[in-house]
Amino acid sequence: MAFHDQNNNHTNGEVSKKPKLSFSAITDTEIQSEFSHHDPTVARLNNGAFGCCPSSVLAAQRQWQLKSLRQPDHFYFNHLQKGILHSRTIIKDLVNAQHVNEISIVDNASTATAIVLQQASWAFQEGKFNKGDSVVMLHYAYGSVKKAIEAYVTRAGGRVIEVPLTFPVTSEDDIIREFRHVLEKTKSEGSSNKVRLAVIDHVTSMPSMVIPVKELVKICREEGVDQVFVDAAHAVGCTPRVDMQEIGADFYTSNLHKWFFCPPSVAFIYTRKSVNSVDLHHPVVSHEYGNGLAIESSWIGNRDYSAQLVVPTVMEFVNRFEGGIEGIKERNHDCVVEMGEMLVEAWGTHLGTPHHMSASMVMVGLPPSLGIMNECDAMNLRTHLREFFGVEVPIYFRDGGEVGCVSGYARISYQVYNKVDDYYKFRDAINQLVSDGLTCAFLSS
Amino acid sequence: MASEKNNHHRSIPDINGTHPTPKKPKLSSSSNFITASEIQSEFSHHDSAVSRINNGSFGSCPSSILSAQQQWQLKYLRQPDHFYFNHLKPAINNSRSIIQNLVNAKDINEISIVDNATTAAAIVLQHTAWCFREGKFNKGDVVVMLHYAYGAVKKSMEAYVTRAGGKVIEVPLPFPVSSNDEIVTEFRKALEKGKVDGKKIRLAVIDHVTSMPCVVIPVKELIQICREEGVEQVFVDAAHSIGCTDVDMQDIGADFYTTNLHKWFFCPPSIAFLYTKKNPKTGGGGDLHHPVVSHEYGNGLAVESAWIGTRDYSAQLVVPEALEFVNRLEGGIEGIKKRNHEAVIEMGEMLVKAWGTHLGSPKHMCASMVMVGLPTCFGVRSDSDALTLRTHLRDVFGVEVPIYYRPPRDGEVDPVTGYARIFYQVYNKVEDYYKFRDAVNQLVDNGFACTLLSK
Repeated sequence: MAFHDQNNNHTNGEVSKKPKLSFSAITDTEIQSEFSHHDPTVARLNNGAFGCCPSSVLAAQRQWQLKSLRQPDHFYFNHLQKGILHSRTIIKDLVNAQHVNEISIVDNASTATAIVLQQASWAFQEGKFNKGDSVVMLHYAYGSVKKAIEAYVTRAGGRVIEVPLTFPVTSEDDIIREFRHVLEKTKSEGSSNKVRLAVIDHVTSMPSMVIPVKELVKICREEGVDQVFVDAAHAVGCTPRVDMQEIGADFYTSNLHKWFFCPPSVAFIYTRKSVNSVDLHHPVVSHEYGNGLAIESSWIGNRDYSAQLVVPTVMEFVNRFEGGIEGIKERNHDCVVEMGEMLVEAWGTHLGTPHHMSASMVMVGLPPSLGIMNECDAMNLRTHLREFFGVEVPIYFRDGGEVGCVSGYARISYQVYNKVDDYYKFRDAINQLVSDGLTCAFLSS
Repeated sequence: MASEKNNHHRSIPDINGTHPTPKKPKLSSSSNFITASEIQSEFSHHDSAVSRINNGSFGSCPSSILSAQQQWQLKYLRQPDHFYFNHLKPAINNSRSIIQNLVNAKDINEISIVDNATTAAAIVLQHTAWCFREGKFNKGDVVVMLHYAYGAVKKSMEAYVTRAGGKVIEVPLPFPVSSNDEIVTEFRKALEKGKVDGKKIRLAVIDHVTSMPCVVIPVKELIQICREEGVEQVFVDAAHSIGCTDVDMQDIGADFYTTNLHKWFFCPPSIAFLYTKKNPKTGGGGDLHHPVVSHEYGNGLAVESAWIGTRDYSAQLVVPEALEFVNRLEGGIEGIKKRNHEAVIEMGEMLVKAWGTHLGSPKHMCASMVMVGLPTCFGVRSDSDALTLRTHLRDVFGVEVPIYYRPPRDGEVDPVTGYARIFYQVYNKVEDYYKFRDAVNQLVDNGFACTLLSK
């Protein structure tokens, strides 16, 4: 099997005929060294949950922390704002935002969601939105986002509409059709029920699939949706084309600690400059209140901002790879699909999404004989794999299937530190469970 | 304190409360206590060129606790899923349990850990905003706060209370202040004002120790008055308190109380707790929510706050180590508080004597900090002047100290308009304050005035 290493060199002995450039890419040994703090006994197939951070970036973070601890007042007055602005500038270029003021740095996508939804909440309260106006979200929206919509929208009198999605999915057209159908239906119910906000995942979490956000944003504009918020928790470093101009959303958030090698935790929220009438605020109010979201977010009281300051160092790390972040994304995608296909062939199952709807993660069907009957079974199986086989991988329970069908999917990730052995370990673990006749019913007893 | 080196400065107690002379009998247990050089070692990461007399802003964290924090960080990075499922919650509960005992809360569910007092204020005030919006409070009902409430809290009031239709009344406070009575009188007047036209006072936000100018407020007394006058709920913003003032939830009697643990309790940045008194009737804490909503929404504030998305929770996990550190000092946290207070007063009086000025508040209204009047010839005439002077002291003299501008009142002749807020924490030495004294004396000799700097 021609397994690609991180620099597109085949490892089966073929000598690369590419002319040597003066750029000398990071080697596999260097990569393993950068992630040597990971538990070597664990096949870490879940980069999508908590991400990863190379030791050179952790070292840079430590320097920032020490600098602050050494003389925090001096740090606050002379270093912090500059450092955050530097990070914001890099992010702005990375995602093709027009102006650095469109980029605010926050802890994580959950915080960004709270910011956007709190604004919607005030809009309902202050009569900008009418009670009964709607917020649309996808059925597979992240659990925390659903809760945030309950906490801020439902509570303030807004209506919540879910776009049904099916899984396994075979084509983006299904998603586009469902989405358009929901918006048209809501519109037809009368002009008193406006769709004020659409919350669209760029990559859903569980089950994981790449959503055609560009097309959905376009439909929103056609159907007169006031605001579009793309929850792209995974996107930066994972999906291709994270381009604010191309995607066209009003608000867009992505974590940088998942797929962009930042330490926990840092994310950005993009707020399109042209959305003038929208008044976003960080919920933790400091003396910077009223100075714009980016400034408000850069000081929310005394805390450790070091994770937000290492974005320049991360950029350096990423550029040690051939093709930079685009190269990494492409190779991760190729590898995860290759590994996914290897697993479904070994187990006689199927992938939950087609290749082009998988980014650096893919849903891999698990053998039906494992008998995954509910979410609890999925969690028990995950725990069993961790504790007995040293495999870390989240399991998704898919409801509504027929008996004997695939009802459980593993969401495997691929990141630069992964090796093919990680996936062999998983393959063998499942094969062992199957040949032992283990079922989830047995696990929960 | 380097009492061994400076025996002629006999009046400063060292970190274990012993004066260099006369000789105290050595107790056998004192050999277990941290020594002066161990303390210096624990804080050796501080910039040694700087007289760091501003512990109240950003706090401090000993290297042994920073190491413990790093261990937690590495544990997480090594296998984050395992950490999330098996380690995080028990460790946060451990911290909460220690805090519960430390502050004499009745129930561990009354203790939620958050980033800082600013976050706690947002939690309480966002709840107040919902009450106004959902009709539980009427538009025009009142929230009372002190004039010297922290800037961020004032903005939070604007963002949540004013915006939701509440009326905010500020209690004017005098400064310099000479007794608790002055504060109590103003507070009573403000409550009367709030009840005019049949309006209800829904919430009083009271600082335990104001920030600038820095004064200990008689919270117990004010809360008592709130209860008498039918104020519905009281929120004590005690950003400074733990490790600095007495903190007993039963004794103080507030509905909500917050304090930072990175200021005076040696935790790394950043960690605070929010105490929410359990309602004896409903058993609930008043339906407070963390503004960053996770899948834990609805499981109570403490559980919500323990997971607000992926982030580094390590600062919240080293409370056990902080308590251990504190107990290496004689008398534990009580001993530290007492010695800090005595030392800062002594330093304050040394400075005002050297400069011919006065302290901004009497000793009993100071905790581990005191406001020290600056020579009037500096001509501090604005907040901007104060900041400029502060920067000058940092850049030219290596002294880190916040300066407060106190606007003069009508009829005052040559008033002191600038005050330095000095702190004392276990790593401080008398030399830090001599350096400040000498810097100011030098500026006076050079004919320094703030107007010169701002050119």
